Amino acid sequence: MQRLRLTILGIGLILGMATAHGDVVAVVSDRSTVDSLSKNQVVDIFLGRVARFPNGNQAVPIDQAEGTAARNEFYTRFAGKTAAQIKAHWSKIIFTGRGQPPRAVSNSAEIKKLLASNLNGIGYIEQSAVDDSVKVVRIE
Amino acid sequence: MLRILSSTKSRSGGNILLLRNSESGRDSLHCVPANSEVRSSGASWQRWLTVHLREFMKLSSITAIAALLYASGVSAEEVDVADAPMFTFNAFGTFGVAHSSEDQADLRTGLRAEGAGFTDEWSSAVDSLIAGQVNANFTPKLSAVLQIVLEPNHEGNYDPHVEWANIKYQFTPDFSVRIGRTVLAVFQLSETRKVGFTYPWVRPPLELYQLNPVTINDGVDASYRLHFGQWTHTPQLRVGHSKTKLPQNGGTADATDVWGISNTSEIGSLTAHFAYVRTKITLASFDPLFDGFRQFGPRGVAIADENAVRDSPSTFVGVGASYDPGKWFTMAEWGRFSSDSVLGTRTAWYLSGGYRFGKFTPYLTYAKATADKLTDPGLNVSALPPFLAGPATALNAGLNTILSQKPVESTVSFGARWDISSNVDIKLQFDHMRVGDGSIGVLTNVQPGFPLGPEVNVFSATIDFVF
Repeated sequence: MQRLRLTILGIGLILGMATAHGDVVAVVSDRSTVDSLSKNQVVDIFLGRVARFPNGNQAVPIDQAEGTAARNEFYTRFAGKTAAQIKAHWSKIIFTGRGQPPRAVSNSAEIKKLLASNLNGIGYIEQSAVDDSVKVVRIE
Repeated sequence: MLRILSSTKSRSGGNILLLRNSESGRDSLHCVPANSEVRSSGASWQRWLTVHLREFMKLSSITAIAALLYASGVSAEEVDVADAPMFTFNAFGTFGVAHSSEDQADLRTGLRAEGAGFTDEWSSAVDSLIAGQVNANFTPKLSAVLQIVLEPNHEGNYDPHVEWANIKYQFTPDFSVRIGRTVLAVFQLSETRKVGFTYPWVRPPLELYQLNPVTINDGVDASYRLHFGQWTHTPQLRVGHSKTKLPQNGGTADATDVWGISNTSEIGSLTAHFAYVRTKITLASFDPLFDGFRQFGPRGVAIADENAVRDSPSTFVGVGASYDPGKWFTMAEWGRFSSDSVLGTRTAWYLSGGYRFGKFTPYLTYAKATADKLTDPGLNVSALPPFLAGPATALNAGLNTILSQKPVESTVSFGARWDISSNVDIKLQFDHMRVGDGSIGVLTNVQPGFPLGPEVNVFSATIDFVF
């Protein structure tokens, strides 16, 4: 029994470490009315499929620059897609004149700075970069 | 009365007839497009200049309209566009070589004059192209796009042409109207068929994507994006017309009174596409042939009426779906082109799938094309006096050559895509094509030695990029 409990504890620790390591979370301005979204809703906003949050407010996605660890982690975890697949997705939209990818900034600090002045913005940053200026979007 | 002055003829292909009308004394050249070896010569730079001046004039008027709209837009709404750059530049391209085992015909894409097989054993003209695009965001609602593609054209020259040139007004985030040139989106990948980086294969299956010569539309379209729960539907309506230059002295394909409706539905990793387009097609280069038939009494007139491509009502239908959850993908598509003319009814479909091992995506595709009829008895030659039998035989041969150009074939393809960076890929592909008896399949430039129903092996290697 003791042993089983330890094993469960061990598995829990390993799982906890696995999710904590290099984790990227979706964030909005701390004054935003958005609290939670589904993974698909977040992905739809970032891939340009929807322009609004479920509550009807305009949604302005802010990306991190291509090649950054946060960006690759975000698209792998939320959309299950590689950097090349995301590039292919936007190429379809760009080269048919339908739009342009979200504005991209170089790091998490830049995301936080933009969200501070943009109530409609949504971005993603490393868990470790989360502070009072942003609100982590709960993923349902 | 028509008299044949000269005729070159082959079993499977080319018929070039010089006919003289004895009443008017006028000569006419009957050249059946895909197989004739007649090449235009001389004064090509003048033609180039004329064409480009015309394109330029068209674009300048678009720019002028855009400037007007911009001026009115700015004064009206003072929107903050600081975040979005006014102009963005993008480019894409493919460098490729292809080899075909059939040296009596060319494998080609789109409406290029040449390809691999007959013209060159290894050809870079099958897949290579480079394109540049500029997007202008005049206001958050008003934008314009201009895309120029440089690729081998209907005469075999690398020649820039305008693929997209339109102005879009985004009334709401989900409702937009475009005026100008767009690609006619009949099939799932029609709009992005030239952007190799966006699909797994070397090229979209030719059986389906070579079904029709009408690929662009000059006109107006409106699209409205609807959200129902997890579903996103984007219905689109379009009207317009287009002119497309055909290779091998095929003249121009004129599509008039184009109207179409299409819809794309997305839910999660699933995308489904439907399109219906109706138009009237004219291929004036076929007129001399059918005018010839009209000289041969009621039977000849009936053949001409049935087959001439003159404002002939034609339809395209495309239905397709793709499922791409990330680790693997599968897609299937079915399409039909049908015309009340010698172009007849052509149907094609394909099924493809692949699995992504990291940056490496092997795939497998099966594609099939069928057509309604490949031969026609034409005029009853035996019932004609000897001096008419010759011209009648030549006319029948001309008609049957056109009919044999309907693709009947099936292809098994396998290959792999390797993403060498986030915007460059390398692809290798092997195709095994079985061409149906009496058809030339998707091939062109067919030579007298082209065998009946050949099996053709094609090997292709490409590098695609976007930036």
